[in-house]
Amino acid sequence: MRRFIADIGPAAALAMESCVHCGRCAEACQFYVQTNDPRYTPIHKIAPLKQAYERELGPFAFVYRLFGLAPQVTAKELESWQALIYDSCNMCGRCSLICPMAIDIADLVERARHGLFEAGLVPADYLGALAEKEQATGSPYGLTQAQFRDMLHDIGLKHGVVMHVDEAKADIIPTVSSIDLKMFPASMAAIARILNHMGVSWTFRTDGFDADNAALTAGDRAGQRKITLGIIRAALACGARTVVMPECGHAFTEMRWEAANSFGQALPFRVVQITELLAEGLSDGRIRVNPGVGERATYHDACQLSRRGGASAAPRLILRALGVDLREMGDAGDANWCCGGGGGVALVKRAQPLRDLAFQIKRRQVEATGAGTVYTSCSGCRQTLEHGGKTANWTSTVASLLERVADTLAHNQKD
Amino acid sequence: MPEDHRMPDHTETLGAALVRHGIGRRDLLRFALAMTASLALPPGIAPVMAENLARAKRRSVIWLSIQDCTGCLEALLQSSSPTLESIIFDFISLDYQETLMAAAGSTADRMLWDAVAANKGEYLLAIDGSIPVKDGGVYALTGGRSTVGIVEALAADAKAVLAIGTCAAYGGIPKAYPNPTGAVGVEDLISGTPIVNIPGCPPMPDVLSGILVYFISFGRLPALDERKRPLAYYGTTIHDRCYRRSFYDRGQFAQSFDDDGARQGWCLFELGCKGPITHNACASLKWGGGTSFPIESGHGCLGCAEPNFWDAGSFYTSLAGGSPTGWQNASMAAAVGLAGGAAAALLARDKADPDPEETPP
Amino acid sequence: MTLLEFARGPALQASALIMIAGMAWRMAGILLLRRRPQYAASRHSLARRMGGGASLILSRFIPRRTFWPRIAVGVMLSAVFHLGLALVFFGGAPHILLVHQATGLIWPNLPKGLIVMASGLTLAAMIALIVRRRLHPVLRLLSTADDYVSWLLVFLPVLTGILLSGEAIGDYGSLLTLHILSVEALMIWLPFGKLMHSVLVFAGRWTMGVTFARKGAAT
Repeated sequence: MRRFIADIGPAAALAMESCVHCGRCAEACQFYVQTNDPRYTPIHKIAPLKQAYERELGPFAFVYRLFGLAPQVTAKELESWQALIYDSCNMCGRCSLICPMAIDIADLVERARHGLFEAGLVPADYLGALAEKEQATGSPYGLTQAQFRDMLHDIGLKHGVVMHVDEAKADIIPTVSSIDLKMFPASMAAIARILNHMGVSWTFRTDGFDADNAALTAGDRAGQRKITLGIIRAALACGARTVVMPECGHAFTEMRWEAANSFGQALPFRVVQITELLAEGLSDGRIRVNPGVGERATYHDACQLSRRGGASAAPRLILRALGVDLREMGDAGDANWCCGGGGGVALVKRAQPLRDLAFQIKRRQVEATGAGTVYTSCSGCRQTLEHGGKTANWTSTVASLLERVADTLAHNQKD
Repeated sequence: MPEDHRMPDHTETLGAALVRHGIGRRDLLRFALAMTASLALPPGIAPVMAENLARAKRRSVIWLSIQDCTGCLEALLQSSSPTLESIIFDFISLDYQETLMAAAGSTADRMLWDAVAANKGEYLLAIDGSIPVKDGGVYALTGGRSTVGIVEALAADAKAVLAIGTCAAYGGIPKAYPNPTGAVGVEDLISGTPIVNIPGCPPMPDVLSGILVYFISFGRLPALDERKRPLAYYGTTIHDRCYRRSFYDRGQFAQSFDDDGARQGWCLFELGCKGPITHNACASLKWGGGTSFPIESGHGCLGCAEPNFWDAGSFYTSLAGGSPTGWQNASMAAAVGLAGGAAAALLARDKADPDPEETPP
Repeated sequence: MTLLEFARGPALQASALIMIAGMAWRMAGILLLRRRPQYAASRHSLARRMGGGASLILSRFIPRRTFWPRIAVGVMLSAVFHLGLALVFFGGAPHILLVHQATGLIWPNLPKGLIVMASGLTLAAMIALIVRRRLHPVLRLLSTADDYVSWLLVFLPVLTGILLSGEAIGDYGSLLTLHILSVEALMIWLPFGKLMHSVLVFAGRWTMGVTFARKGAAT
């Protein structure tokens, strides 16, 4: 089980050492709050990781080994933990907000998944659906470079927008999420339209396009690294100054906060999430929109962008620029509730009932706003909200903030 | 029969002796009442006590001073209590006391053994000073004989042994580190004969008179605690009865002997007062005929009535503090800890594998 | 040597040294693990990241309002317990004297009546907390021997302390001995169990605060 603890540094060790078993994290977790099942207490979910840490890495590891206080974590134990670690954690980090010891449990769950992945315990549908294909092609949906190129040209034709693909030099590299590829191809047209409107030099790169790093949530460290380095190399190849992350929470977390560490040095370009680029453009006038009047909407924060990414302000700036009458949900921003699908939980079929329970919180919150539209900047959230909304017979629609901006662009000669 | 001071009349009752001194029964009753209060007995018992005292016969008391400083005896002799107590002290037949008796040498020695023979099993053996047992007891000899043997022999035939003062009770100052003579208290040497410890350096005279009165009245020893001290006098600490206690409770402590707090009579705890752990009656009975006691004079209690008080650190170190660990030791401990933790972390580092497979371009 | 002398002398020295060595060991063992350099561009300057660390240390003393309805009971009990303990430890005259003698630091004490009241509240809160730990399903699941040992080793000094203050049962000497010995047991255990959170809490909050400030997230 050495993989478990392979990348535990002082911060993770501090987190592992500090727990006082106060149980407050349970009260911040959608899975516990909705079920009252103590097994869903966040810190409990990483128990095998803590056990391995105490045995192998902690300051008193030799005492633990000498007296058998922390036995070796067995494959069987890990197996029994699989559902807790993959099905009942969105890695949303809401628990890390309530923890009096400031333990980043979401981060620990990510490490725990490394161990389970090494032990071959990633849920089968997860691996089958995504991670294996991702390993082979660089895209969780198994898209090859050629297929992606064709797809982009098709989208360009269909939406009447000029596509830039695999150009040798460009300032801005947009990336996409596998969910966009499969479910929301219009979002690729939207970003092309906006970048054209801004009049910048940009290009999609088929050698590094899919930022939806499913390997991250699967716990596949090597895969995660491979995808990330692929995008970095593509950006380096065309001398990009900005790499734009799509509407996807975990993609942003990986590329914005982890990629440079995998790369081993500071990235020679900046990484922004699409809402940040939009907010920037709207602020400095490179993006001009025709604001509407009186559209009553709410905004669902993606956990990785708000609480864990520091990008809560950008979407609100955009909504203001669009003239939207924003009705915030309770806990909007840093303390928001996860949609229930984050952290790869949406990919685990058997987690569906649990996910639906978690969604009930979101449902109540959205309904309480009386908003006609729920905007979000994460295709994962969007997918989960759409699915949940359908089951709940929502009259409100779920929409992408990116597409909304693209649809509202003011007339521009370049278009 | 002419009065013989070396061999007092053991048949005269105390009542008769008092009458001889012009003291009536009413005075005796008043005295008995005061004594019952001092001994924490129910007042109803006073008439019985007075009655018993009046009928009591002289008791033989044999007093040995061993490793002593004569302070205990001095304190008792200087006790200013008037009339009755002094008469009671007169009334006991102090058959042997080296400091006070006129006789010396073999005469004194003969008087000792005569008294023992005459009062076998009935006399009280009073001891002040500790007993040196090291090297066969050679450090205190009487007539070439080790006092260890003498004490053992006298105690065997005594009704009870009174260990007067901290040295006799616990070994006291002679026992202080490094205890060159192997000094011990009476209870470390004697078993089989009841022992009453009357610790204090010196002990309170009122305590000794209280015990004597009780013993003369009832023919037995008063209730003792686990350290063989009379409960009535040693059941509470100086701290319990201290008139400065309210300052302690309010947290008002003098910081030095001449600061404002000291002038206002604040608690001396911080200046090292050992009152909280010292069992004695100083705070209630007081010294010099109820005049004062050390704390009232502005100095903390030294704890002289407790075992090993001489070795229990400075008189001026507060009870709250132990011996400070010292920065040097603390830094050493921190260094050892840091080294151990660092070693553990470095060993753990070998298990780290932060960058799986692919290496950066 | 009486037990009290032992408690105030060698036992106090030894337990203090064990505590210091143990805490140093544990902190070094944690902080000297391989530290991966952070290359991702920070949203904030170093100064603001430090500010984030400091800010999170403070902000976590009081939970966000949104969490209160679900955690109020536990938070209040633990607040009474922690505040009471702090009041007793830092306000009690004999404790200050002890620290004064060991370190030279001194500060004014609180009146004894207040200290006794705080100890009483602390005891009550601790009893409620341990009952809650036995009854609440989440707490039962999380609890280990460490939780109960640590609870007991904090409870005993408070209990003997309050008895000592009133000298309710037993005499001052024996109560003082018990009180000191119980504190020494606590000191010896402190570096090895969860009581170490008294130090780790600051390191942990600081770390998260700096990390979150780097990301521009709320601290």
